[in-house]
Amino acid sequence: MFLSVTGALFAGFLNTLKLFVLTLLFSLPLGLIISFGSMKNLKLLRYPVKFFIWIIRGTPLMLQLLVIYYGPGIILHANIWGSGDNGRFSAALVAFVINYACYFSEIFRGGIQSIPVGQYEAGQVLGMTKHQIFTKIILLQVIKRIIPPISNEVITLVKDTSLARVIAVYEVIWEGQSFIKSAGIIWPLFYTGIFYLLFSGLLTLLFGYIEKKLDYFKIK
Amino acid sequence: MSFLEVKNIKKNFGNTEVLKDISFDMDKGQVVSVIGSSGSGKTTLLRCLNFLETPDSGSIRIKDELLFDSSVNTALSEKEIRKKRLHFGLVFQSFNLFPQYTAIDNICLAPSLLSKEDPSIDASAIRDRAYELLIQMGLSNRVDNYPHELSGGQQQRVAIARALALNPDILCFDEPTSALNPELTGEVLKVIRELADKKTTMIIVTHEMSFARDVSDIAIFMDKGVIVEQGPSKEIIDSPRLERTKQFLAYYR
Repeated sequence: MFLSVTGALFAGFLNTLKLFVLTLLFSLPLGLIISFGSMKNLKLLRYPVKFFIWIIRGTPLMLQLLVIYYGPGIILHANIWGSGDNGRFSAALVAFVINYACYFSEIFRGGIQSIPVGQYEAGQVLGMTKHQIFTKIILLQVIKRIIPPISNEVITLVKDTSLARVIAVYEVIWEGQSFIKSAGIIWPLFYTGIFYLLFSGLLTLLFGYIEKKLDYFKIK
Repeated sequence: MSFLEVKNIKKNFGNTEVLKDISFDMDKGQVVSVIGSSGSGKTTLLRCLNFLETPDSGSIRIKDELLFDSSVNTALSEKEIRKKRLHFGLVFQSFNLFPQYTAIDNICLAPSLLSKEDPSIDASAIRDRAYELLIQMGLSNRVDNYPHELSGGQQQRVAIARALALNPDILCFDEPTSALNPELTGEVLKVIRELADKKTTMIIVTHEMSFARDVSDIAIFMDKGVIVEQGPSKEIIDSPRLERTKQFLAYYR
C-alpha cells in the first residue's frame, strides 16, 4: 500500500513541480517587464498596467483559474486550451504566470525604486549607458534587496499550485485525496504535507544560500 | 579664448528660478570654488555642466567645442550626451560608490566599459592606472576593500580616483566634505589640494572657506541663482566688496 501511495503521490508531485518551475520561469521575466511598465512616466501606459495589477492582486487566484480556463470557450466560443490534461495544464500555467508576474512586478518595482538616485547619477557622469547602469550597477543591488520578499512569494507558490485542481489538474493533493474515496485512508493526505515541507525546506535553504552569497557587500 | 566658457545659463524647476543668468569662464589648470548659501544654485550649476540637468537657456563651451547651446535647438541623443559629459568629472557629496565593487573595481568599471567602444583606450592599462590613482589617494592598503569597509573619507577618495580615471578636462566637486566629520574632511581636502598643486582643472562647490581661499584661484559667490561677485579667491573671501558677500562670509568668521 505504502509503495503504491508513494508512487501516486510522486506522479502528482511531478505535476506540481512542473507547474511550479514553469510558472517561475515565465513569471519572473514577465514581472520585470510589468514593473517597467508600472514605473513609466507615460500615464497612458502606467495607469492601465497599475489597473491590471490591481485586478490580478485584488481577486482570488482560484477565480482567475476558472475564468481563464472556462472563459475563452464560453465567451468567445474558442477552445484555445485544447482538450485533456495538457489543455487544463496550459490554462493553469497561464493563470499562475499572470498572477505571480503581477506580484513579482510589485516586488521588483519596490526594489528598483529603493536604489538611491545617486547610483544612477554616478553611472551617468562616468559615461555609462542606461543599459550598462542597470545591468552593472543597479541589478545586483535590486536582487540583494528583493531576495527575502521573493523567497516568501516562491514558497507561497509551492503551496498555491494545489489550487490548480479546481480545473482538474492532477497535482499531489488530488492524488492524496483520491485514497480517501478508493481505500478509506487519510494518511496519504498527511504524506502530501511531507512533500510540501521537504520542498519548501529545500527552497528555504537555497534562498538562505543566495542571501549569504550576496552578503559580501552592503547597501546603504 | 578661455578653456571653459559658461554663458547666460538659466534653469527653472517648475516656477522656481534656480539659475537666473550664470556666466563665468576659467582657464586650464585653474581651480574655481563656488561658494554661497544652500539653495543658491551651486549644485544645479555643477549638474548642468555634467548634463545631469539640461539648462533652459545659455551655452557651455569647452576647448572651443560647443557642448551645449540652447539656441541650437536639437535634442541630443544619449550617445552624444555621454560623449559630452566625459569632458567633466563629478564627485558627489554622498560619494555614491557602487557597493558591490571593491575600491579598485569601482575605478575600473567605467573605463573598461568605455574601452569596448573606444579602441583608443588601452584596456590592459586600466587596472594599473587605477592602482596608481589609489596610491596617489593614499589608499594603497584599501585596494580590495568594499565601500562599506571604508570610512567616509576613504570612500570619497576612491570616488575622486574613480572620476580621475576617465581623465576629465575639468573635475567638479559637489560639497565633497559636507558628509564628513572634521577629521575625515582634512584627508579629503589634502588630496584635492595635491590635485590643485598638479594643476588639475577643478570646480569646487564648498563651504570650507579657508580651503577655498587657499586652494582656488577664483571664487564665485552665488546667491539666489545669480553670481553676486567673482574674482581672485583671496580678494573675494578676505575682502569682499559687496554687502551680500560680506553678510554670507560673516558666518564663517
